[in-house]
Amino acid sequence: MRHDEEATGRTLLIQLARLGDLVQSLPVIASLTARCPHRSLDLLCPGPLADLGRLFPLVGQVLEWNGAQWHAWAESFVGEFYPSWLQEVEQYLAALTSEPYEIAYVLNQHQRAILAGSLLAREVQGPRLRGPLHGELSPWASYLRLVAQSRGANRIHLSDAFCGLCGVAPPPAPPVLDFPSIDLPSDLADVGRSAGQWIAVVVGAGDADRAIPAPVWIQWISALLSHESLCSVVLVGSERDQSAALAIQDGLSPMIHGHLWDATGRTTLPQLAELLKRCHWVVGADTGPLHLAAAVGSSAMGFYFSRARVHETGPYGPGHWVWQADCARPETWPIQASVKLLGEPAAAAQQEPVAGWSLWQSHHDEWGAIFRPAGDDDPREDQRASVWRRLSEQWVLPQGVR
Amino acid sequence: MNSFETNISRLARRDSALAAALRQSGGGRLEIIPARTGLPSARANGRWVHSSYDPIKEAQAWAESQSHQDGETIVVLGVGLLYHVEALCARLPRAETVVLVVPDLSVLHDAASVRTWGDWMDRVTWAWGTTESVTERILSAGHPLRLVTYAPAASLHADGHRAIETALQRRVAGQAGGQLRIAVVGPIYGGSLPITRYAVSALESLGHHVRWLDPSVHATSYHQLELLKNAQHRLALQSKYAEMLSRVTMAQLAEDPPDLVLALAQAPLILPMLEHLRRKRFLTAMWFVENYRHLTYWQQLAAGYDFWFVIQQEPCIAALKQAGAKEVRYLPMAADPSVHCPLELTQAEREECGSDVSFVGAGYANRRAIFPSLLNREWSFKLWGNEWDGATDLTCVLQRNGDRIDTDICLKVFNASTVNLNLHSWAGIGFDPNGDFVNPRTFELAACGAFQLTDRRSLMSDLFAANEVASLSSPDEFPGEITRWLREPEQRLAMARMARQRVLTEHTYVHRMSSLLSQIGVASPDRIGSILMGSRQAAALAAAATDSFPTTAASLGTFPPTQRVELKQLAAQIRSRSPMGTLSREDLMVLMLDEYRSETKDLV
Repeated sequence: MRHDEEATGRTLLIQLARLGDLVQSLPVIASLTARCPHRSLDLLCPGPLADLGRLFPLVGQVLEWNGAQWHAWAESFVGEFYPSWLQEVEQYLAALTSEPYEIAYVLNQHQRAILAGSLLAREVQGPRLRGPLHGELSPWASYLRLVAQSRGANRIHLSDAFCGLCGVAPPPAPPVLDFPSIDLPSDLADVGRSAGQWIAVVVGAGDADRAIPAPVWIQWISALLSHESLCSVVLVGSERDQSAALAIQDGLSPMIHGHLWDATGRTTLPQLAELLKRCHWVVGADTGPLHLAAAVGSSAMGFYFSRARVHETGPYGPGHWVWQADCARPETWPIQASVKLLGEPAAAAQQEPVAGWSLWQSHHDEWGAIFRPAGDDDPREDQRASVWRRLSEQWVLPQGVR
Repeated sequence: MNSFETNISRLARRDSALAAALRQSGGGRLEIIPARTGLPSARANGRWVHSSYDPIKEAQAWAESQSHQDGETIVVLGVGLLYHVEALCARLPRAETVVLVVPDLSVLHDAASVRTWGDWMDRVTWAWGTTESVTERILSAGHPLRLVTYAPAASLHADGHRAIETALQRRVAGQAGGQLRIAVVGPIYGGSLPITRYAVSALESLGHHVRWLDPSVHATSYHQLELLKNAQHRLALQSKYAEMLSRVTMAQLAEDPPDLVLALAQAPLILPMLEHLRRKRFLTAMWFVENYRHLTYWQQLAAGYDFWFVIQQEPCIAALKQAGAKEVRYLPMAADPSVHCPLELTQAEREECGSDVSFVGAGYANRRAIFPSLLNREWSFKLWGNEWDGATDLTCVLQRNGDRIDTDICLKVFNASTVNLNLHSWAGIGFDPNGDFVNPRTFELAACGAFQLTDRRSLMSDLFAANEVASLSSPDEFPGEITRWLREPEQRLAMARMARQRVLTEHTYVHRMSSLLSQIGVASPDRIGSILMGSRQAAALAAAATDSFPTTAASLGTFPPTQRVELKQLAAQIRSRSPMGTLSREDLMVLMLDEYRSETKDLV
């Protein structure tokens, strides 16, 4: 390993993607801080996610990347350039950190994150081996690009690949996002406080083609409430999911009044974390909230279709479930089977197969997360160990010639 | 010491000549009346110059509404009692320069007499005297300039302010060396199509990079819709088609964002698209080469364009402003001497196109009513053009069976005719009683060195003298004037020569485009103005970067000094170095800015 475990100094982790990627960065934060316990590790993330980042354990300062400000500059600068603009940019960067970090670990492959690393730190470790303008990728970045192009038999979870990018192994145990209780809006204060199963339903998804249609949710919630009479359901999502949440409520029987809460568009990200923490299960297709649910210790059950793939972005840690569709736009949904699974997860192996879907359960071992079929007869060989060995050997070579 | 003495003594420390001149001048131009707050307010010509309730509050609101960029010199038009100047100084950072234009010392005398000025007056540069000296004083304060107008006071000296603005625009035009990227959007079809071509050519000859977004390539499809018999369907589909072409234009603009979008009349840009362009910080201008009384679609578009240029003056300008246009300027028609010029004609061309008297144009009602009186005279008369259906009495003089006449034939007719009639179109009988604008044919005939007889137009005298273009005040004068001019060939030829010279000196499309750009440049000093003045060129940028950003200055130094450099060019220069090369912090900042810039503008 390149970095002395006794080394001190400030390090920065750069994660400029969405909610799901930020939460999936928890394992690499755990591994980096475990390797260099005397170094402080700060986090640079998009401004809207910063309050959630401040709940992360082991993270020092959270720096807010103001994408809106950069976009505003970009809008102003089309067709123009004045040297004086750099003054404004310099002030902005100086406000982030007055002194450069020793090392920036960059988790994103896009140029902005790589440039941010170069601007804020003396040394950058991440996707590029030889600076922002040189196209040569690190072994792990090459591997991730290959997986993105042709997924093949990949079984390495994105969270663990983040560890590989930063030159650390996955943490021995999944990190838990623990935080003091956070106040919820008054009408949601009782969520999770009464008896029975509390299920959070993630109504929407980051992209429209990854959202579960409202009629499917209506069927699913109806089936759940008829199967588990003591059950309570909380609809979660962002402001743009509110109309879908209303459509779901309109389609449900009035008899379920008292069993349904609508929290869409009404929580901050820390409040969402608190809400999910209070639920026993979190169900949905939006991987961001599912990752958050897994991180706060709740059980997650995902419906993965479109571009979502269980092996790369399934909920991290043991005991989570993912229904993976065979096609991008499923026409049938495993409604009864998934409802039954919530009540009797131990009996999952005995479930009848559902046409068009496969069911996967999460586990955790020395190579990080792994999803295995409910019957544990994964036809694919688990190649994680050999991939880690191969990429680690390649990693040593370029580091050695620096 | 009274207010006047206090103010003048203090003023003398900054501008002793002005102080002395004020002592010599009288006041009384403003009628001083106490406002409800007890402060002095003022009226002039029966109108309030400041609020009759609270002049300070009103001035503060005005100052708040003024926009400016750091480093600009603010030029204030309108003196009054200076409440607005005081409010503006209070709002601006101390380093900003404020120049107050004083066209009339008597107003400033009144202002000095009624209240004692505060420390803000030490920040003001006073531009007074002749138009030339005011212009010099403004320009000496430094660039870029931003003109702000306190309208209630400025309206007292509108002519003087206009002269100063014109002088400033001339300076901008004279010093313009920077290359703009201009997208020109023309019509699908119609009379403004050739004008678009001339405007494009003129802008190119001024050295700008011009992209003509030409929807006329879709004209055939558009005309197919005119064949639909159901009017409801036809109008709906034509509207949809124009909207689609508007979106196509937006997509083209997004691909290569220009500094300025210049639309010509009938350009298929609809209001929502124009509003979207403004949100994306595109600067737009429309040259409305139409009679605003006849074609009224400007009412729906007035608020959409940043600048309107019109071929009529008042009440056209007021009407557009009433409809929401912010900046409306007069910009008359012109000619393109590379097209409209004297021709050497063959005998055959003279025989076909020549006559004693001719007219080229469409069969409007006034022409149908007037031209029969010119038949069966001692001169030959030929009528050219289309849309003469039903004018049976004119069939004997109508050429080519009333086919549309292209520019080539038109020019031959102009050149081959002894007297060219130029009767502006009107839907009534006789001459248009509101005839104000001067049509393109006037300039084109003049540029050809052709003699013309026109109907009287109220704006003609600003453009051509009476010894350059002959005008008639009544249709009844046509026969007599034609006869007279046919008999005076030397005088006729002399007039035609002078008219052509006037066009070459003042009325080409190059003149118009230069004027249009300099007007926009003065009104938009931080964008078009700075490009025109060359402050975006590599040498100027490098000089500005030298102290604070030496690496950037060095990068800029690799460009030819007069090349205009934008962010993307600078970023490309940094990227073009060896990929293993060391990047400075400045380089990284430029690359980061360019990453965000390179996102396609979300226009479509």
